[in-house]
Amino acid sequence: MNDTVTPAVPPSIRSRSLLPDTEARQKLRRKRARRDSTSRWGITLAGYGVVFALAMIFIYLFYEVMPILRGATVTPEASYALPVQDAGLQHLILERYQELGIQYTDDGRVTFFSADDGSIRHEFELPIPEDTQITSFAHTEVIGAVSAQGLSNGQAIISRHAFDLSFPNDQRVITPKIEHPFGADPITVDPEGMPLEFLALETVTRGSGGSLMAAITADRRLVLTHLTTRSNMMTGETTVTTRHAEISTVPEQPVKMLLDKALRSLFIADQSGFIYYYDISDLNSPRLVDRYDAGQGSAITAIDFLVGTVSLIIGTESGELSQWFLVRDEQNRNSLERIRDFKPHGAAITKITPEYTRKGFLAVDAAGQLGIHYGTSARTLFLEQKASSALINAAISQVNGRLLLLDSQNQVQVAGLWNRHPQLSFSAMWNKVWYEGRANPDYIWQSSSASDEFESKFSLIPLSVGTLKAAFYAMLFAMPLAIAGAIYTAYFMTPKLRGIVKPSIEIMEALPTVILGFLAGLWLAPFAEDNLPAIFSFFILMPVMMLLFAFIWSKLPIRKLIPDGWEAALLAPVILLFGYLCVVASPWIEVWFFNGSMRQWFTDIGITYDQRNALIVGIAMGFAVIPTIFSIAEDAVFTVPKHLTQGSLALGATRWQTVMGVVLPTASPGIFSAVMMGFGRAVGETMIVLMATGNSPVVNFNIFEGMRTLSANIAVELPETAVGSSHFRVLFLAALVLLALTFVVNTIAEIIRQRLRTRYSNL
Amino acid sequence: MNSQTHETAGIAISASQARDNSNRAPMRMQDEKIKLSVNNLNLYYGQDQALNNINLQIPEKRVTAFIGPSGCGKSTLLRCFNRMNDLVDICRIEGEILMDGQNIYDRNIDVAELRRNVGMVFQKPNPFPKSIYENVAYGLRLQGVNSKRVLDEVVERSLRAAALWDEVKDRLDDNAFGMSGGQQQRLVIARAVAIEPEVILLDEPASALDPISTLKVEELINELKNDYTIVIVTHNMQQAARVSDYTAFMYMGDLIEFGDTDTLFTKPAKQQTEDYITGRYG
Repeated sequence: MNDTVTPAVPPSIRSRSLLPDTEARQKLRRKRARRDSTSRWGITLAGYGVVFALAMIFIYLFYEVMPILRGATVTPEASYALPVQDAGLQHLILERYQELGIQYTDDGRVTFFSADDGSIRHEFELPIPEDTQITSFAHTEVIGAVSAQGLSNGQAIISRHAFDLSFPNDQRVITPKIEHPFGADPITVDPEGMPLEFLALETVTRGSGGSLMAAITADRRLVLTHLTTRSNMMTGETTVTTRHAEISTVPEQPVKMLLDKALRSLFIADQSGFIYYYDISDLNSPRLVDRYDAGQGSAITAIDFLVGTVSLIIGTESGELSQWFLVRDEQNRNSLERIRDFKPHGAAITKITPEYTRKGFLAVDAAGQLGIHYGTSARTLFLEQKASSALINAAISQVNGRLLLLDSQNQVQVAGLWNRHPQLSFSAMWNKVWYEGRANPDYIWQSSSASDEFESKFSLIPLSVGTLKAAFYAMLFAMPLAIAGAIYTAYFMTPKLRGIVKPSIEIMEALPTVILGFLAGLWLAPFAEDNLPAIFSFFILMPVMMLLFAFIWSKLPIRKLIPDGWEAALLAPVILLFGYLCVVASPWIEVWFFNGSMRQWFTDIGITYDQRNALIVGIAMGFAVIPTIFSIAEDAVFTVPKHLTQGSLALGATRWQTVMGVVLPTASPGIFSAVMMGFGRAVGETMIVLMATGNSPVVNFNIFEGMRTLSANIAVELPETAVGSSHFRVLFLAALVLLALTFVVNTIAEIIRQRLRTRYSNL
Repeated sequence: MNSQTHETAGIAISASQARDNSNRAPMRMQDEKIKLSVNNLNLYYGQDQALNNINLQIPEKRVTAFIGPSGCGKSTLLRCFNRMNDLVDICRIEGEILMDGQNIYDRNIDVAELRRNVGMVFQKPNPFPKSIYENVAYGLRLQGVNSKRVLDEVVERSLRAAALWDEVKDRLDDNAFGMSGGQQQRLVIARAVAIEPEVILLDEPASALDPISTLKVEELINELKNDYTIVIVTHNMQQAARVSDYTAFMYMGDLIEFGDTDTLFTKPAKQQTEDYITGRYG
């Protein structure tokens, strides 16, 4: 201090520097520079690593989802003349291993040929009786492989092709054969013996429904023949019983007849573009229900069922394609409805070939175009000119890997097919879809079932709504508690108590959510169901109780013994006691107000009550979210500069006025970002929703019903889906949606936090 | 260091002499009406005593300055007048402070009302993160004034009183953080004036400001003393000499000397005071 007055330091001491010498300092400088650059590069690298990892997650998810967007690809492989050309073609099939094509001809021959080059492998003659000709042909759903030839004497031959597999020398050898499930003898369809001009056939493979044939005879009668088989246990012989019925109303110029697999409906398309719908569920009184103008002025040129025989695909002369199925109205009456249209071909549709296991189909037309369409998603995956002349027939293999196309020059084209994910499209996932058998278009998630004919329902709406519903109720529970708690802790609580409360709540965050989910699902859900009035009285009366206690406390003389800031500790026993009282009073409240059971009372007034519902999830997930919101919000409130609050107090504000006027506005970005973080957490939360929601993918916001969230859905379904299937990919899409959602929410929260930081740096 | 302090004191003295030349009647305590009266005040932070038996009379509509080295308790004493020390948990006060004869530490005093009556301006400008207008209107809104007409009038009057109106009248809706430090400090004074206090406490109001802003604030203090009783804490003795009518010198929690500014700076009664104003203390 005094050195300016007395500069009496000896020069000898001054000159002797105590710092390290130049060389050592140089070394130190180099070392420091090295460390600086190492840390700089290390931190930069780590930062980019994080970004890279995140990008890789996105890229991987995209990579798994991308094939959904791909359409179908058709790769031409070979072309050859149709093997049998001396008789008319009735049916063209490509078998499951994609090696053999099958040709049914109108002279009663079944020809198996190599799909690669058209060379004939096997030929079978059907047992056509002498002096009769084949006048009509019908087949069941392609996967059943049963077909029938209608004869000129009113009889029909029913046969089925099948394959034996053997592996001599480790080579697969397919040996085809022809079976007769109803015996080799012709079956009488028309007892009057008239030629059968049109024929329809369907067999029921499960149960004892038997089979049904419908035929229009040359004298314009519509006859129905029901077949039941019984096999003798001892001899193995099968006896066939037939029943006949007749319908009087017959279309003038029929094109094709189709029977559904439930043997309840018969559809006949005619040349004027009308579909006749017959109810044949009661064979004693089959009747025409109605006829529908499907062609709208254009003739129906091709019609077939999609797999499951529920949906009809109708192709017209003008090239339009539409899907129709029976819709049941409130009076329990069925009517045929036009469900959706596909991209028109612009030329007469000549043949519709359904896929074997999905709701897709091939359509070929008179202009030589091949179209590949899909029912549920209304997608047209492929539409291209494949022949210079008209295409007249098409066949697809059971595994959708190869197809055969036949043109009017009798040339067969064989082509490879890639069409893996036709059932997914933006509208199928995000818009209402009219699924088979439903009364209305709807949002449905139902990804799998035991049946092959099942239509996958991949609407992401129920899952997204479920996610938001769970997050909404969790936030409804957590937000007021966490924010109010944060304000109290940061601003009113005594530092001693705060030092205990804040870390305790933050430790709650480390609680494994599986435990919360377990408690919620197995303890809270049944408890809440039994004590519903307790839950409600607790939530509704607790604030009243707190205010009442605060009022009484302010009047008590012992008040002065407890300093300000310890009120929370005083409140704890009050809350516990009141909670206990609510539970004790619960049965009485039920008896007095709710006829003994509140849950039943809800059901009686028409509110669905599930045991695992949004209320339970709200509470359980609320507990998981509270620490996140509390911690960030508390920091935001606590870091409001003291000079601001003091400034406000010095202006004559009460503490409450200061909180409302200065603290909350200043901390609001931080509180908002806390809420967003909590929301992000609630959206991504898995274990609690998995265990406590019931996982029913419903679309509603009823607090007493469950939901299924995106995250829980992934956890439930990913382990049981086939890798690479559409279901697998749609789950990855759900993951991508989830990641994007949390990413966006957290990014917004972080941006607001950054702005908050710059805002505080001004203060 | 030493020489600098000498110089400072020199300027301080010449400043007060300059004012003497302006033919103003010397201040005499016995002529003044007493606004605040501190009687036997002791203040403790936990075990540590920060103020030792302070007795002090603050005259009405005068500027009273507290000077003294850092940590001498001058800010603590200032904060006793609007009970800001209540916010410190470990703070304990004995004795009384009378304002117009009423003990402000009395049990049935409404602290919020007291603070409305005793405004305070802090060392660092602390505008709220609101618009200029809302900053000034804040205190009125706290009192339940929400009429736009009344607010408009008070905001204008307060900003004029703080000599800020002409600078900000066109940007009343801008965020207060956009102002310079000096403007912010005058805004804070306007905010304090808006709620019509009787006493304004200034806690080193110019220490964070540049010389020109400091000058403006000092001019403002000179204006305000016509209507308000002002108590100012400063570590800048020039400033105390320039703006105050009475000065209290404090040291280590004791009130060493209190008197009219001219006398205290020219003929201090205590050795300690003389040592301090001539720069013998750090």
